[in-house]
Amino acid sequence: MTDTAVPQPSSLAAESLTLAYDERVIVDGLTVTIPRGEVTVIVGANACGKSTLLRGLARLLKPRGGGVLLDGEDIHRLPSREVATRLGILPQQPIAPEGISVADLVSRGRHPHQRWFRQWSTTDEEAVAAALEATEITDLADRSVDELSGGQRQRVWIALALAQGTGLMLLDEPTTFLDLAHQVEVLDLLADLNRREQRTIVLVLHDLNLACRYADHLIAMKHGAIVAEGRPGGVITAETVAEVFGLECQVIDDPLTGTPLVLPVPAGLRAGRPLTPAPA
Amino acid sequence: MGVTLDAPPSAPPSTPRPRPRARSLTRSPAGDVVLRWRRTGLSARIDARSATVTLAVLALALAVFAWSLTVGDFPLPLGDVLRSLVGRGSASTDFIVQTLRLPRGLVALLVGASFGLSGAIFQRIARNPLASPDIIGVNGGAAACAVFVIVVLDGSGTQVTWGALAGAFASAVAIYLLSYKQGVTGYRLVLVGIGATAMLTSVTSYLMTRAEIYDAHRAMVWLTGSLNGRGWDQVRPVAIALAVLVPATIALARHLRVLDLGDDAAAGLGTRVELVRSALLLTGVALAAVAVSSAGPISFVALVSPQIARRLVRGAGAALMPSAAVGALLLVGSDLIARRLFAPTELPVGIITAVLGAPYLLFLLARANRIGSAG
Repeated sequence: MTDTAVPQPSSLAAESLTLAYDERVIVDGLTVTIPRGEVTVIVGANACGKSTLLRGLARLLKPRGGGVLLDGEDIHRLPSREVATRLGILPQQPIAPEGISVADLVSRGRHPHQRWFRQWSTTDEEAVAAALEATEITDLADRSVDELSGGQRQRVWIALALAQGTGLMLLDEPTTFLDLAHQVEVLDLLADLNRREQRTIVLVLHDLNLACRYADHLIAMKHGAIVAEGRPGGVITAETVAEVFGLECQVIDDPLTGTPLVLPVPAGLRAGRPLTPAPA
Repeated sequence: MGVTLDAPPSAPPSTPRPRPRARSLTRSPAGDVVLRWRRTGLSARIDARSATVTLAVLALALAVFAWSLTVGDFPLPLGDVLRSLVGRGSASTDFIVQTLRLPRGLVALLVGASFGLSGAIFQRIARNPLASPDIIGVNGGAAACAVFVIVVLDGSGTQVTWGALAGAFASAVAIYLLSYKQGVTGYRLVLVGIGATAMLTSVTSYLMTRAEIYDAHRAMVWLTGSLNGRGWDQVRPVAIALAVLVPATIALARHLRVLDLGDDAAAGLGTRVELVRSALLLTGVALAAVAVSSAGPISFVALVSPQIARRLVRGAGAALMPSAAVGALLLVGSDLIARRLFAPTELPVGIITAVLGAPYLLFLLARANRIGSAG
């Protein structure tokens, strides 16, 4: 599995990137460099522009200003298929056609490597087998995607992204609609892919505490701009959380991982009452 | 994740690698038959089930077609028909077979296939079983223009054909532009199309109220869709259109495999979504336009064929070539019924397809309602 070549992860950066839907500017003049071979997690309140930024980085949105650089080249000048062999994106709500089998769906990740005269090479075959293996869904290969649980389905989509064979993977809220156990399962899988194959992984996540646990690099966004970025320990403080989410909280060390653990202060404890440790 | 790194991956369903054979035949994990030529690195993939269904339905359509050559006011034994086809028939059988029944049967096959394929393309792109040229306004535009030519310009048959062609393309472009908003989504396309159809129908109705009785009758027959009196003049354009558009569709269909996953996913997999979609829509419109201009807006063939094909193939999404085959069978069969049901009086074939298709549409809607989705 490890010998199925995972290419050197490409570098990805945005330079004074401005993204807009129609007249509404969502991301305004943002500059960021995605650290290579690390897990980057983007967090922020709803509608802060984090998904928009991810779509912009993945070339799904044309910038209104500035640009995105993939390996130092303007991503919009590169051919679509060329981009798709270096950068994979798992959108927020991809569509699984009714009745499609797991293997069929995952095999569609090979599209950028195929031509009309090379429709299914041995490399395609090996990449799909390896992707099924790495996500531990080989046993489900012939099952219909409709019948799977939410967690299994998300593994199938990640397998599709793996089969695409890019060193750089962007995932838009891959844990939404999953219960906590399945969230952890998906994040463990991604962390494992990062550690084992040095893939660069960029995620948008909602859960701050999970973000702190799994991120090597954390980006906190508000109103389409970056408020803070860096190691989670340096980024997540009570002040940043107050600024980014408008949430009063205490930040302590996660007893398991030592990463920051955010404890929101419930309304009942505010209003002048001292922030004593919560009753057990 | 508990993936053991040292253990070799438990045999993936691939061929043993180092066997030096010039060609190999395997199956892809998606169940397709894969043919590989080692030296050149070429490989082709064929959906076996879809190919089987296409061939079987096509064979059935050809059988009905052959049968339709023998029946009529002057029944002919199959032997006489075959003799005439190879140029050894009597003068009278030659006239009946080669001038009357053969071109008409061919038009039925080709127009049916065009409608079926066109419907499949629309339904696949829109991810909506209601998206078909008769519902989203392509046929409506053709009809309005054709009736205009008949009623106002008093045009000849050829002029009506060109009018229908122009009307189909004009309405298709208008509908595309009206539903364009950072790309075209299926739902918008269907809604705008239904609106356009309503407007175009009212134009057609207005023209009909202004028409002389003879013109009105002519227009009415055209509007129902009929294969009566269709000859070689209609066979040629549809045959040429299919010869060009079927290969184009097959070439574009590769991208449908990723377009099925949503626009963002398809773009992420390196497909130029809007370009591929526009090209496919253009193909679908061209197929429908040529079919409508040859035989009138025969209803329901484009809508129903992909749905029947899909159930036969049991695959994901509307299957393109099987739909074309089902369309051909449906129309050639309906025309046979239209010719013989009240013989010697002929019915326009559109009545038969509507009688067969309407209950199916209702069933489809009822089912979609029960499941709680329009998909």
